Amino acid sequence: MSSFDALAFRQFFPFFNNNPDWVYLDTAATSQKPQQVIDAELAFYQRQNSNVHRGAHQLSQHATAAFEAARDKVQQFLNAASRSEIIFTSGTTAAFNQLAFGLMDTVLKPGDRILISALEHHANIVPWQLHCQSHGVQLDVIPLDPQLMPDLDVYQQLLALKPKIVSLTQVSNALGHILPIGSMLQAAKAAGAITIVDGAQGVSWQVPDVQLWPVDFYCFSGHKLYGPTGIGVLYGKQRYLEQLKPLLGGGEMISDVSFQRSSFAALPARLEAGTPNIAGAIGLAAAIDFIRQFDARQINQYKGELLQQFAAGLSQIPGLRPLTRVEQSAGIVSLQLAGEHPNDLAMLLNEQKIAVRAGSHCAMPLFAALQLPGAVRFAFAPYNLPAEVDVTLQALAAATEILR
Amino acid sequence: MLQQLIADTATGLQQIAEHELPLLQQPADWQSKYRLLMQLGKQLPALPEKMRQTEYLVRGCESRAWLLHYQEPVSGKHYFVLDSEARIVKGLLAIMLCFVNGKTGAELAELDLSRHFDALNLRPYLSQSRGNGLTMMLQRIQSTIKA
Repeated sequence: MSSFDALAFRQFFPFFNNNPDWVYLDTAATSQKPQQVIDAELAFYQRQNSNVHRGAHQLSQHATAAFEAARDKVQQFLNAASRSEIIFTSGTTAAFNQLAFGLMDTVLKPGDRILISALEHHANIVPWQLHCQSHGVQLDVIPLDPQLMPDLDVYQQLLALKPKIVSLTQVSNALGHILPIGSMLQAAKAAGAITIVDGAQGVSWQVPDVQLWPVDFYCFSGHKLYGPTGIGVLYGKQRYLEQLKPLLGGGEMISDVSFQRSSFAALPARLEAGTPNIAGAIGLAAAIDFIRQFDARQINQYKGELLQQFAAGLSQIPGLRPLTRVEQSAGIVSLQLAGEHPNDLAMLLNEQKIAVRAGSHCAMPLFAALQLPGAVRFAFAPYNLPAEVDVTLQALAAATEILR
Repeated sequence: MLQQLIADTATGLQQIAEHELPLLQQPADWQSKYRLLMQLGKQLPALPEKMRQTEYLVRGCESRAWLLHYQEPVSGKHYFVLDSEARIVKGLLAIMLCFVNGKTGAELAELDLSRHFDALNLRPYLSQSRGNGLTMMLQRIQSTIKA
């Protein structure tokens, strides 16, 4: 048994006191927020609110200091070599849109290839598609193996086509499967590719050391890491960030503007046009402080225990068909009820106040490959309790009874 | 083919209005309510696979639903055939159709569906923005009759 104290952990999250009837198993969509994150955002607006980098007054300087301290916090969190490698975005999706736009023409030329996996969610698919066709760039997809992991033999064959970019998710948002990201990134580097990791689901499983990992870009969202919505991070190695064409133009990101042309500011400002989400960045820093108080290995072991308990209970309910292989999951179990649409199961769970997601989870190509209309996703977090697993299993049994 | 589906739908809706809708107004536990919803969905014919065309697909739902329309040229009355992959959603859509099918454009313009759903204790399903797709289906019906 893990020595992690989930009950104590849960006390940090006021949401649960306000929603005592609900079992929240939708953390893969967004996590709950601890009081100290809420306090940090509130305190900024109540005491410090000013715009950053521009006021002649001292208040702006204080706000700037707090905002830039949040950047330092993220730098330490990822162990980035420099603070200018941390770009604040609105989230993972915005980070990928900047990457796809910014790499076209500068790094990617007609005839070049980009390689992603079949487990990607839409943020690591659609931004590439928006630009690939008009730029003559080919998007290749690593198919799934029978374990619903990337087929590593085909991966090697696709790497032999010398993709310029290999962009992979750390953890599948639809299934929870943890990709062998270390060895996959190494293989990509050996093939000469620029590497990108979608950490939206993965950052709460394992925080990368971006100087140890062979990763050139790493993207994540604050709101899936106990932080606020509307703030995320695009990490990039300096020399690659410098090659990105800015997606957004405007204030902050320029050094000189005339009606003929503009010259751009240095990183990170060059990729942060407009007033940033200052309170969000400060909230994200508070979330990083929060999560670093806990032992990640203990948390992951505890989540594994919840998954085992859940999986054991599922096997007692006739007709349920898990798609997730629990032993390779970071906290998600996706399942189907034989012959039934996931929406029916989810509606019956909602009636019993179990918060889950049903459908294709912004990963439609994955479900097309599986030839399934979607699944019901149960996403466990360290604030979930064994008693909640039992309640969920009872609710599932009641729901399947009705659908039979 | 469409004529047969329209006839079967009309028969099913009549059954629902006579038998199931009164049952829905009676107090019952939540399990019985859902069993009833799924049962009344079965009263409507299933749309054959070859008719599940993209042009009939109603987007914006977590489950896929289809809507076919026919306007009787003499009376001007609107008739519909619908189907859904999800059984509970199909039941809810069938109830919606009870108040819509066989009406003229003028009658439909006057229709207050939320009042009917209130009376059946089903109002929350009508107001959900996404997921069950009732709102999307209603919008589709409205745009179809205007076209």
